[in-house]
Amino acid sequence: MRHTGALLCLGAASVAYAASDSPRPRGVGPEFAKFYKDSNAFTCISNPSITLLPSQVNDDYCDCPDGSDEPGTAACAHLSTLSPSTPANVAAHDSVNATIVLPGFYCKNKGHQPSYLHFGNVNDGVCDYELCCDGSDEWEGVGGVKCEDRCKEIGKEWRKMDEARQRSMGNAVKRRKELVTEAGRLRKEVEDRVQTLHTQIQGAEKHVADLERELEDVQRREKGKVVKGNVGEKAGKLGVLVGLARQRIDELKENLIRTKGERNSAKERMEELEAILSTFKEEYNPNFNDEGVKRAVRAWENYVAKDKPTVGDAAHDRDIDEIVKSDEENGINWDEYTGQEEESDVDLLYDFEAYLPVPFRTWLDQKLRDLRIMLVENGILADLSTDSSGSEPKAVAEARNRLSAAQDELKNAQNGLNSHNEDLNKDYGPSDVFRALKDTCISTDSGEYTYELCFMGRTTQKPKKGGGHTNMGSYNRLETIHVDEDLPADGRGLGKGDRIAMKHEGGQHCWNGPNRSTTVVLACAEKEEIWKIVEEEKCVYRMEVGTPAVCGLDGNGSGNGGGDGEAKKSPRDEL
Amino acid sequence: MVKHENFKTCDQSGFCRRNRAYADTASSVSSWDSPYRLDSASIAFKDGKLTGTILKSVANSDHAVRLPVTITFLESGTARVTVDEEKRQKGEIELRHDSKAKKERYNEVEDWVIVGGTQVSKGAAVSKGEAGSTKVVYGPGSKFEAVITHAPFGIEFRRDGEVQIKLNERGLLNMEHWRAKVDKPAEEKKEGEEAVVEEASKEVTEDESTWWEETFGGNTDSKPRGPESVALDITFPGYEHVVGLAEHAGPLSLRQTRGGDDSYTEPYRFYNADVFEYEMDSPMTLYGSIPFMQAVKKDSVVGVFWMNAAETWVDIVKGKTSANPLSLGIGSQTTTQTHWFSESGLLDVFVFLGPTPHDVMKSYSELTGGSQLPAEFSLGAHQCRWNYVTDEDVKDVDRKMDKHRIPYDVIWLDIEYTDGKKYFTWDPDTFPDPLGMQKQLDEHDRKLVAIIDPHIKNEANYWVVDELKSKDLAVHNKDDNIYEGWCWPGSSYWIDAFGANARKWWATLFQYTKFPSSAPNLWLWNDMNEPSVFNGPETTMPKDNLHSGNWEHRDVHNLNGMTLVNATYEGLLARSKEEEKAGGRRPFVLTRSFFAGSQRMGAMWTGDNQAEWSHLKASIPMVLSMGASGFPFAGADIGGFFGNPSKELLTRWYQAGAFYPFSRAHAHIDTRRREPYLAGEPYTGIITQAQRLRYSLLPSWYTAFYHASESGTPVVKPMYFAFPGDEKAFAIDDQFLLGSTGLLAKPVTEEGATSVDIYLSDKEKYFDYFDYTVYSGPGHVTVQAPLDRIPLIMRAGHIFPRRDRPRRSSGLMKFDPFTLVLVLGDSGDAEGDLYLDDGESFEYQDGAYIHRKFHYDAATQSLSSEDLSTPGKKTKAYLKAMEKVRVEKVVIVNAPVSWKSKTEVELAEEGGSASGKRRVPMSWQEEGSGKANWAIVRDPGVGIGKGWSITFD
Repeated sequence: MRHTGALLCLGAASVAYAASDSPRPRGVGPEFAKFYKDSNAFTCISNPSITLLPSQVNDDYCDCPDGSDEPGTAACAHLSTLSPSTPANVAAHDSVNATIVLPGFYCKNKGHQPSYLHFGNVNDGVCDYELCCDGSDEWEGVGGVKCEDRCKEIGKEWRKMDEARQRSMGNAVKRRKELVTEAGRLRKEVEDRVQTLHTQIQGAEKHVADLERELEDVQRREKGKVVKGNVGEKAGKLGVLVGLARQRIDELKENLIRTKGERNSAKERMEELEAILSTFKEEYNPNFNDEGVKRAVRAWENYVAKDKPTVGDAAHDRDIDEIVKSDEENGINWDEYTGQEEESDVDLLYDFEAYLPVPFRTWLDQKLRDLRIMLVENGILADLSTDSSGSEPKAVAEARNRLSAAQDELKNAQNGLNSHNEDLNKDYGPSDVFRALKDTCISTDSGEYTYELCFMGRTTQKPKKGGGHTNMGSYNRLETIHVDEDLPADGRGLGKGDRIAMKHEGGQHCWNGPNRSTTVVLACAEKEEIWKIVEEEKCVYRMEVGTPAVCGLDGNGSGNGGGDGEAKKSPRDEL
Repeated sequence: MVKHENFKTCDQSGFCRRNRAYADTASSVSSWDSPYRLDSASIAFKDGKLTGTILKSVANSDHAVRLPVTITFLESGTARVTVDEEKRQKGEIELRHDSKAKKERYNEVEDWVIVGGTQVSKGAAVSKGEAGSTKVVYGPGSKFEAVITHAPFGIEFRRDGEVQIKLNERGLLNMEHWRAKVDKPAEEKKEGEEAVVEEASKEVTEDESTWWEETFGGNTDSKPRGPESVALDITFPGYEHVVGLAEHAGPLSLRQTRGGDDSYTEPYRFYNADVFEYEMDSPMTLYGSIPFMQAVKKDSVVGVFWMNAAETWVDIVKGKTSANPLSLGIGSQTTTQTHWFSESGLLDVFVFLGPTPHDVMKSYSELTGGSQLPAEFSLGAHQCRWNYVTDEDVKDVDRKMDKHRIPYDVIWLDIEYTDGKKYFTWDPDTFPDPLGMQKQLDEHDRKLVAIIDPHIKNEANYWVVDELKSKDLAVHNKDDNIYEGWCWPGSSYWIDAFGANARKWWATLFQYTKFPSSAPNLWLWNDMNEPSVFNGPETTMPKDNLHSGNWEHRDVHNLNGMTLVNATYEGLLARSKEEEKAGGRRPFVLTRSFFAGSQRMGAMWTGDNQAEWSHLKASIPMVLSMGASGFPFAGADIGGFFGNPSKELLTRWYQAGAFYPFSRAHAHIDTRRREPYLAGEPYTGIITQAQRLRYSLLPSWYTAFYHASESGTPVVKPMYFAFPGDEKAFAIDDQFLLGSTGLLAKPVTEEGATSVDIYLSDKEKYFDYFDYTVYSGPGHVTVQAPLDRIPLIMRAGHIFPRRDRPRRSSGLMKFDPFTLVLVLGDSGDAEGDLYLDDGESFEYQDGAYIHRKFHYDAATQSLSSEDLSTPGKKTKAYLKAMEKVRVEKVVIVNAPVSWKSKTEVELAEEGGSASGKRRVPMSWQEEGSGKANWAIVRDPGVGIGKGWSITFD
């Protein structure tokens, strides 16, 4: 049922030899028939100097050093580099050519496809229907075994399967074409975007240059203004103070956002660590009586028992979110203060908190000062005492802001360009095909987990019973690996040959082991599907995945080509 | 690294410390007087049994302690000395802490261990001895004598008038008699008097600190019966080597334990325990105990078997003695003195007087049973891992072994296959289709072995634990409630297989109807049966736990593993009515823990070793030591359990493993996958060759196992066993012979080695198995051993059978023809044999087997096959079934040059017509350049079960 390609190929061979159809000794394939024609003597194929009586062919005794006198029995099965050799077993003499020519026991399999079976499987009491559907391998009936001819049904079933497989392969190839087209479209999109970005950047660069000039001009003008006199000095002071406050608020806000980000990532790490420890506590082996481990478990239990600090309390988080909204959203229009140059309400300045929205104000009152101190102490916040730009005139500040906005825009555009260029250079496989699969996720159930693969992303293990997901590695690179697997009847398997594999690395660390990693081996299929997931060794996974994306990539138009001459060749493992 | 702190040293084990101190006192006091004397008036001799009472005098007491003694002389020539204690025997003692424990000394070891050989000697008779002693003459040809000295009590065993073994020669006999605990008031010490008081008390009192209570690792042993140890010194005059005392990780020839070069500091210990990452070359206890020892000197081997299942220690001291002190070493000889002590139970010791190692092993195996004649598949290759994680995984490994043409018979499942470590269940997620898996294996006649341990998960709605509890079949704690401990499943109970009801119940669990999804090709592995208890003292049960019959765990500990295997074995004999009707099938059970007698039930392995060269090296003496201890079906984890072996180590280990009687690859769950096909070339090919070599020699292995089952001979024989006349060979434990095939192997255990030096004991010629290179002894020869070569040589004078056709499993070789290899010396005969049966049933007991002796007679230059079988009612049917199985080839290694021109030999067949001789082709080949010439008889075509002869003349 397996080795489909081989069977076909042998089928062709049998046609070629059909013309010379004379009765051949048992187990001889048509391509070797010519060696067995002489009815007076048999000459060992690799050792023409050794001539035997015809009766010595298939007499269940191995005479030829190449085994060619026993095409239909297991008598020469031991002639193999895999068997221990002794002088009397393998005639290891210089004069002897022991190159084995027969590929195995030839099963005619009338009604199906002929094939070769390992000699060691002949007359061992087992019907090897997979390769010998006609049951001819057990002709001696050892131990009373009888192998009926099942070629009719097996052949029928096989042809049905084969048809489906062909159809499926046809679809797969079609689907791959679509994928390639899609990938091309996606690539074109990126390329277009690159073009646009180039133009944008040129524009932005020009804009920045203009604004730089403007800033210079304004600065020059404002310098003159300051020299002119002290009109609106009071208002100027308020403006300066408001500007200062605004700046400081901005800085605090920025720092708050950053700190929150850091806190969240610390929280994530802590949760991960707690999950690890809790698994550790559950799974550690008390048998080992390892004091270190026991201590760690006890310490963990104490830690769990302790009251948890209220990190990440939801209300608190909402407050922070509120705070980091833009000031306008919070109802502050700084321009109102800086704009009212004629006003000189110093009290207002000192009481400016009263103008802030309620959540901001109360929080600021209670926490902001502490937070600031903490941030400064931890070196997160810069020491503001060195900041001397506070007294900048408004016009200059505005010009500067415009410039900085333009610079940001330019930077964004450049970053965008870089990442798109990177993307264009990234290895998306032959014909860029995996571009079309990017962010496509497929999953399968295996044991107590669901396993997920997101193409060009990560592999994940999710317990069915609930609980945390485990990162099994993020996509790192493509590799080519050699596989040698039996192809199941439905063709959903890796087969034999070189296959594209996606290496996923740097997943969650394994207790007592490495970081999880996954090798995703791809073979041709009609649609994306995970066939098999195995943990090859601790925390090293292998996924066998079907996808049309790799169809025809192994130099074998119809997909895996898993059976490429395999049945024919496999008995030669013995040679 | 082994956690030494988890296991007791002698100093931390009260009775060990006391008995070592006793020995120290005895040797330091010049006029040491053993306080034990046999009351002459009490002596009686009847039916091969001498009975009497030993009186132990006790300081500060007028009443001697009465110790009934029985000395039994058995028909086989074995003598048995049993000493009990009258007060305990009669129950005239009081137990502390209201203990429910039995009052007697444990006297049921023999119920577990002894299965035969107990017919008393009819010829044994008391003969006139010197005054104050009694002499008994016994044994084959009345060549044995036991001279019993009355005061102090002691026995000398003589063979042909020469003393071989002495009991209590050093006066270390010690039976700690029962006494009530006296709570002494704390003495008030007055200044100045202190020294005097201490001096005085020293003389009259013993150190009681370990009599009533002992604490170790946070667990306190309540010791309700107080001190009760038994001890005896046994001396082997003139014997330099002692072997046996399995299981320990050390050399075959046991080391001294007190003083001397290379001495250990601790005695050899027997207290079956789950020793994590055990260390090499150590007398530390391991998983099993066989307190059987052989003493070896030139042309004589004798032995003793200390039948006690409690914690036991053995001290070994060797001393040079000289007939003439002035002769300065000339004629000096080494004497081995041993000192045995057990925590409780009877003093019960068997004495074997040899003189050959065969004699000793035969007598020992008559008593404790021959090793199981295993199901033939179990001699094939076993592929194990903790764990094959799904049923698909198992099937995948199975397919890949076939794909790579690597023969194997058994694939194994460790604990993860269960549903939450509940035995007799399958994990529904990972093993959804156990029957499909077993069916695929069965297609190539392969088997599955699954683990089942004695700890039963304490969890609601688990029928096994429900039955265990409701039927009250679990081990109890000291307060007689069910004992709860911690093991793989977490909180667990332990089946008490000492109870007949518990064993019966356990056996029923294996019925196909009870064990869901179990198929006939499923067999068993009993692990953790020491028992391993993660939170117990020394990783096992508290000693004051109570077993069936209220015996304390202390009394029976070392038997525990065996009781479980007994029950499992019973359960596997027949798992359905049909199987029962058919006479049952030979069970396969692997055990980690064992005792003397466990060899009757299956195989053992050496536990959790490591993927290091040192462990590969140590595995060979350990396996040899198991054979010398009567349990030959032994092996170590191929590849090493912990850690990742290099490809070279893995390859060398598979090569060595092809010569373990039990050949199983195994690996820890944290190790990388290492199935042989993963190694890549050249390693996979070399490993395949090693496996195929094992399979081609299976007929020889099976024959060797047959001999082991019949007469206790080791399957792989240490050099001393094969060459008892060669003193230089006695300590060699890195090379061995396979049965009586004359095949001598010395597996490579050194990294990077390309050759090994093999020691040859005799002048016989030896030939390299793979190229017929000729080696001659005696002395060392160098044998080439590149990575693809196992150092294996064939001794002249032997004939061994092979089956050369590579098959996927042993079951598929059943009807393959045989090759006979006849290895000739330059002169002299050659001999060998073949035992063959269906490899799975008990029908061989009704004669369904073939046992042929092959003999080459040099004088007539003829090879013949003779019948060694005893026909039974199933002989004929079996011979009929094997009718077509023939000898396809006879290989003659070192074939005489005079045969050079021969092209035919004459064959005569049993049952043929009188003139039915026929000519069969033969060819002779010259090898030259240090290699032996050889010849082949082409397809003699004679039935393997038939008589025939081939004449080369």
